[in-house]
Amino acid sequence: MPIKTTQTTKTSLPVKSGKQEPFLNFENVSKAFPTPKGLYVVLEDVNLKIQEGEFICVIGHSGCGKSTLLNMVSGFSRPTTGEVRLRSQQITKPGPDRMVVFQNYALLPWLTAFENIYLAVDAVHPDKPQSEKEEIVKYNLSLVGLSEAANKKPQQLSGGMKQRISIARALSIRPEVLILDEPFGALDAITKEELQEELLKIWNNMRMTVLMITHDIDEALFLADRLVMMTNGPRANIGEILNIPFSRPRDRTRIMEDPEYYNLRNYALDYLFRRFAHDDE
Amino acid sequence: MSVFVAVDNIDKVFDLSNGGQYVALKGIDLQIKKGEFVSLIGHSGCGKSTLLNMIAGLDLPSEGVVTLESKRITKPGPDRMVVFQNYSLLPWLNVRENIELAVDEVMGDLPKGERKSIVEKHIDMVGLRPHADKQPAMLSGGQKQRVAIARALAIRPKLLLLDEPFGALDALTRGNLQERLMEICEEYKVTSVMVTHDVDEAVLLSDRIVMLTNGPGSKIGQILDVDIPRPRKRMEVVNHPNYYSLRSEMIYFLNRQKQVKKRQASKAQVPISRNNLEKVNLEIGFVPLTACAPLAVAKERGFFAKYGLEDVKLIREPSWRGIVDDMVAGQLDAAQMPAGMPLWLTLGGNGGQPVPIVTSLTMARNGNAITLAKRFYEQGIYTLSDLKKYLQKSKDQQHIFGMVHPSSMHNLLLRYWLAAGGIDPDKDVSLTVIPPAQMVSNLQSGNIDGYCVGEPWNIRAAVEGIGFSIATDLEIWLGHPGKVLGVREDWAAAYPRTHIALVSALLEAAQFCSQERHYEEVRQILARPEYVGTDIEYIQIGDPNVAICSLEHHREYAHHLFFGEGVNRPSRTEHLWILTQMARWDKVPFPRNWLEIMERLCRVDVFSMAARELGLLDFSYSRGKIELFDGITFNSEDPLAYLANQKIKREFRIEEVVLPVPGRLKVA
Repeated sequence: MPIKTTQTTKTSLPVKSGKQEPFLNFENVSKAFPTPKGLYVVLEDVNLKIQEGEFICVIGHSGCGKSTLLNMVSGFSRPTTGEVRLRSQQITKPGPDRMVVFQNYALLPWLTAFENIYLAVDAVHPDKPQSEKEEIVKYNLSLVGLSEAANKKPQQLSGGMKQRISIARALSIRPEVLILDEPFGALDAITKEELQEELLKIWNNMRMTVLMITHDIDEALFLADRLVMMTNGPRANIGEILNIPFSRPRDRTRIMEDPEYYNLRNYALDYLFRRFAHDDE
Repeated sequence: MSVFVAVDNIDKVFDLSNGGQYVALKGIDLQIKKGEFVSLIGHSGCGKSTLLNMIAGLDLPSEGVVTLESKRITKPGPDRMVVFQNYSLLPWLNVRENIELAVDEVMGDLPKGERKSIVEKHIDMVGLRPHADKQPAMLSGGQKQRVAIARALAIRPKLLLLDEPFGALDALTRGNLQERLMEICEEYKVTSVMVTHDVDEAVLLSDRIVMLTNGPGSKIGQILDVDIPRPRKRMEVVNHPNYYSLRSEMIYFLNRQKQVKKRQASKAQVPISRNNLEKVNLEIGFVPLTACAPLAVAKERGFFAKYGLEDVKLIREPSWRGIVDDMVAGQLDAAQMPAGMPLWLTLGGNGGQPVPIVTSLTMARNGNAITLAKRFYEQGIYTLSDLKKYLQKSKDQQHIFGMVHPSSMHNLLLRYWLAAGGIDPDKDVSLTVIPPAQMVSNLQSGNIDGYCVGEPWNIRAAVEGIGFSIATDLEIWLGHPGKVLGVREDWAAAYPRTHIALVSALLEAAQFCSQERHYEEVRQILARPEYVGTDIEYIQIGDPNVAICSLEHHREYAHHLFFGEGVNRPSRTEHLWILTQMARWDKVPFPRNWLEIMERLCRVDVFSMAARELGLLDFSYSRGKIELFDGITFNSEDPLAYLANQKIKREFRIEEVVLPVPGRLKVA
């Protein structure tokens, strides 16, 4: 049972010539921030190609630039050098084709669950009739199983419910790319597993492209097609990419019966805690 | 070692605002030794923090007492320091000052210079020298928790109490702090109690893991001993042969608690009588192995329905443990069981309390093998005597073999096979319980040297070039019982006609499985995810054929036997042999009243009536005498003499086993 990984090299050639451009393409991406002590290079020369409909998880120690990497897809931030392209178009700013779900939910506390989602739908489709927009909101609330909670405000909801609203809001825009920045990090183990299962079900039906940051190896093995493992910063890069071969639709207990699960888990643990151990948090 | 902390039969009850009461903890009993690291784990609301608070003295039990060195704990004190998830540092003081404050407060009678050196030593202990002058706002979450740990340890508490100390940190940052904490606890021999819900954290840090059931009225459900040697390193722990079994045990416990919650929410199953049967809605447990074929086929090909059992649900359990727990709790109507399990449960193998089980059908024979890692093959070890010589030469190394359950034939056959070759299965090697699906990966990573397990796991190891079958049923005991049908004795008394219908359906399904024209269909059914869920190439059925269980040359292999003359009738002689083996290794006592027990265990009458339903009247049921590969014949007239004649054995017990009076099913 050999572990299949992709070694990335720092000196990769541009692959534009003749070949078909991948759906989402990071090409020689570097990101540096000016500091009083000089330039701080977070990411250096990152290359990654993602196919449409793939589920990608990104893992790495804090400070490895994984949020920075995803911010360049959402358009919150631009590469210092290199390019990130979606369908051959360079990403320069945020847009409704890419939606982000944050760990802290980012819901407006004075609006109900329904209104939080409506706000997003209305911003993207100002010209649609109100009834159609309301239908979209209702449908997406039902997708995450929260139709009952439509009129509740965030403070009346549990952490898991808040994150469901936040996911429903992102989905209501029908993004091509769903970006999740450690969405389940603040949830208890049971709620976390439930939300992972729901996310997977939704993704199975919609098959949008997903990029998700996680610190949890088991979460990545359950969800992802590929697990991108980062090296440590500064000048972080992609160290290895683990292909996760479990067939879909996936069932957590079945995956844990597969010997391959333990091989992959130990491989990732070894990568993170030995080969790329991180001494000072 | 004497008891350091004692939690003595405590209850904790909270008054509710509506005048009612909430029982958080009920009858908690726990003793902690000096220097031990104990974790408390359970779902939210199980009262684990409440328990920790009572040890800290932040809260008092409603009933019972908590003592530290025999003194009752009634209030907080500097001998017990708590580290909270949210750090609780004073934001206007820097790292050094935060620690100083605690040291000055508690150790005010020490000279100033001494206090200062204590503070500096603890700053170094947690590796915060470069940040000693920073205030909390300038520190990361992990660094803040280091300060909290240094502050707690600086005043030399007798007991360190940690309430989800790393809960606010991401899973990877947590890793570094866990290792640091572990080093400190090992170096300073600090007695610690930690609340956590992270299973990996619990295994890494603890000597014992205390698992609490759901509230209200939470109890200690189970205590796990983590016998992984110290000092520990994360990757060494992960690669320890017990790591994944401990982890699975905890995940199993937590999932089970989750299920219990769900079950309490949904209403209990009400028996539906119809078709002249007492109950036609059944839940039957199975473990995903090739041997579950008769159950899968009975369901898919409509044999249950044919005999009037209209609504049969097959409940897939990841391990035999799940079957045991559900049978003991009366959650399942029936289950596929390893051949030794009915006796093992009946004789109190599961925690001492006898749970009488009856068996009326042997569902599968054969289908097991002993696999050794490839490296043995490369060193020319092809036989039992080669293995014996090898073990004699390498006495300095530990050799570990995996098996799936103490009551399974794998355990008994592996032990018999080793002992027949002069290898003591407890002294010369060690045996460990590993769930079937994890055998191959444990073998590959070198955690274990070999295993005895059912298919498809021997075939898979050979196909993937990781191991080879050194012995199969052909060499050990051709045609031994493998899996049987088990039901509770009280269930059998309450639903006699249903019992016969169930055995009839399974017997006809077994017949179906044994017919060559159905092999392909049976393999396809088994490969499906709701049954074994594996690549069809790993599922082999049919009677002896050449298969792929060796690394270089093909060898004869005894595949599962599902049906035939003498295959299915429960055999008292065989169960008696199993009894001698379980007593031989001191898994259960040898009952003085074994005749009575065998009579109640083997329900040949039920089998006979089912066979008549199928029209199998002129069938021969005799299996003849039991003779294993070492040529020793089992004399069922005198099992104790047989047992006494076994050369390698433990001190076995002969006891009267008092079973409950066979009665009617207690309806909850």
